[in-house]
Amino acid sequence: MLLDYDRMGWLKVALLGFTALVAAFLLLPVVFIVLLSFGSSRWLAFPPPGWTLKWYQELFADPSWLEAALTSARIATMTALLAVLIGILASFALVRGRFRGREILRGLLLTPMVLPVVVFAIAIYAFFLRLGLGGTTIGFVIAHTVLALPFAIIPIATALEGFDKSIEDAAIVCGASPLEAKLRITLPSIRIGIFSAAIFSFLASWDEVVVAIFMASPTLQTLPVKIWGSLRADLSPVIAAASSLLVGLTLALMIVTALLRRRFQT
Amino acid sequence: MLVPLRNQGVAMSVETQRSIATMRMPGGLGGLLPALILIGLFFVVPVLALLLRSVTDPAPGLQNYAALLGDGTYARVFFNTFLVAAVVTIVTILVAFPVAWMLAIMPPALASIVFGIIILSMWTNLLTRTYAWMVLLQRTGVINRALMATGVIDQPLPLINNLTGVTIGMVYIMLPFMILPLVGTLRAIDPMTLRAAALCGASPFQAFRRILLPLSLPGVAAGGLMVFVMSLGYFVTPALLGGTANMMLAEMIAQMIQSLLNWGLGSAAAFILLVVTMALYALQLRLVGARRATGGV
Repeated sequence: MLLDYDRMGWLKVALLGFTALVAAFLLLPVVFIVLLSFGSSRWLAFPPPGWTLKWYQELFADPSWLEAALTSARIATMTALLAVLIGILASFALVRGRFRGREILRGLLLTPMVLPVVVFAIAIYAFFLRLGLGGTTIGFVIAHTVLALPFAIIPIATALEGFDKSIEDAAIVCGASPLEAKLRITLPSIRIGIFSAAIFSFLASWDEVVVAIFMASPTLQTLPVKIWGSLRADLSPVIAAASSLLVGLTLALMIVTALLRRRFQT
Repeated sequence: MLVPLRNQGVAMSVETQRSIATMRMPGGLGGLLPALILIGLFFVVPVLALLLRSVTDPAPGLQNYAALLGDGTYARVFFNTFLVAAVVTIVTILVAFPVAWMLAIMPPALASIVFGIIILSMWTNLLTRTYAWMVLLQRTGVINRALMATGVIDQPLPLINNLTGVTIGMVYIMLPFMILPLVGTLRAIDPMTLRAAALCGASPFQAFRRILLPLSLPGVAAGGLMVFVMSLGYFVTPALLGGTANMMLAEMIAQMIQSLLNWGLGSAAAFILLVVTMALYALQLRLVGARRATGGV
């Protein structure tokens, strides 16, 4: 009765207890960082001697944090747009195309997800140094789109595989042009996949550290590069404040995703 | 006579439109073009150029590889990297399995809470999570204080700047990648097989060892291999939670390029990492097939 939840007896209690522990372990750093950001101790004593908002004040008083966040948002938005657009085109070909070497091409397009980022980071760094694209927004967007593309292709292709092509054909038979049928029938039907692709590729860029460390210039820093630099200097509570805002953003993103999924499904 | 002809005409035009629909771009190879240009020009070419550099910089030849493989210091880095990746993989499997098991059979309301926590942890900024562990694991951090206050230890444990810190931080990051696919594997097992085992007199332990475990092994192997491959090339967590005395491969590569500007040696080390990773990836494709290995495409 090992897969019967209601008939597992003491084993269920033990496994549930263990699951609760692991959930607590997963939650611990996230909750800790938020509490820490309101603590008054500069040396991160915990539990803190008092509560304060001064780390948030320090964070907002330093324009370089906001600037880095805006840079990240700009690059991640462009990356998500590009990755989704290229991903949609590629997914149609991968799912519907019947040509030789399709599996190999699929594998090739997904390789950036598997190759250690550090290898790609130094490769693209050297390449962009030669092209003069190092430290530029366009360089960042290109490099991040390469990394984000697998995260865009996977959900879109999965959604497209689940879509019945005869509906699209029916639209064409009824007089729609092939392009019109795709834009008005197929794409709306796979919107959950497209939406997941947008979120995943946005996050792939927004959270990306390794390529960013190599590509960043003194005038162009993304948020992870800024955090990385501060972490290496000291463990200031200002980082905790910045991190807490990022946790808030993650939560907001999760809620939006859950709500949209619910709306899409009904 | 006119009517059928006209009808035939309409049928013809639908037929033509149809053939256009199947011929036109996204069905064929054309849609792949932007993706192939992007990946070809900005992924394949730079990586190949880097590999070329490993045998031409500073002079043509294999001296970079000879230096890497012949030196005890570098051998230690390779050993550390494999050791950490192996330990992280084993611990992650052991922790993830019971959780995935429960998630597979829990009431949906309870499971969605646990899934929510897993997603929150996974989506939270990587540096944020690592920063939290840096503070938690410090000499004067919460964990050492708590252990000392409860009398478990008298001296603070060295939990950071060593392999212990790296292992804790990495297991934390890898857990979702192991739990989520395993839930799918376990859900796919028919509970009737276990009921049958029980009816035939198997003890719970026997049923676990002879039925549940073997049936979930493909999922465990696939997830474990993925965690191992990801751990091998991981940069951020080892760089922040590890010590200088026991560096891992990705950090060494970054340092060779960024601080030492030794492109030849750095790209040779990168090539070794690439070969090992790709070999293991190929093994995983063999084990589970391309679709499962990359998450369903």
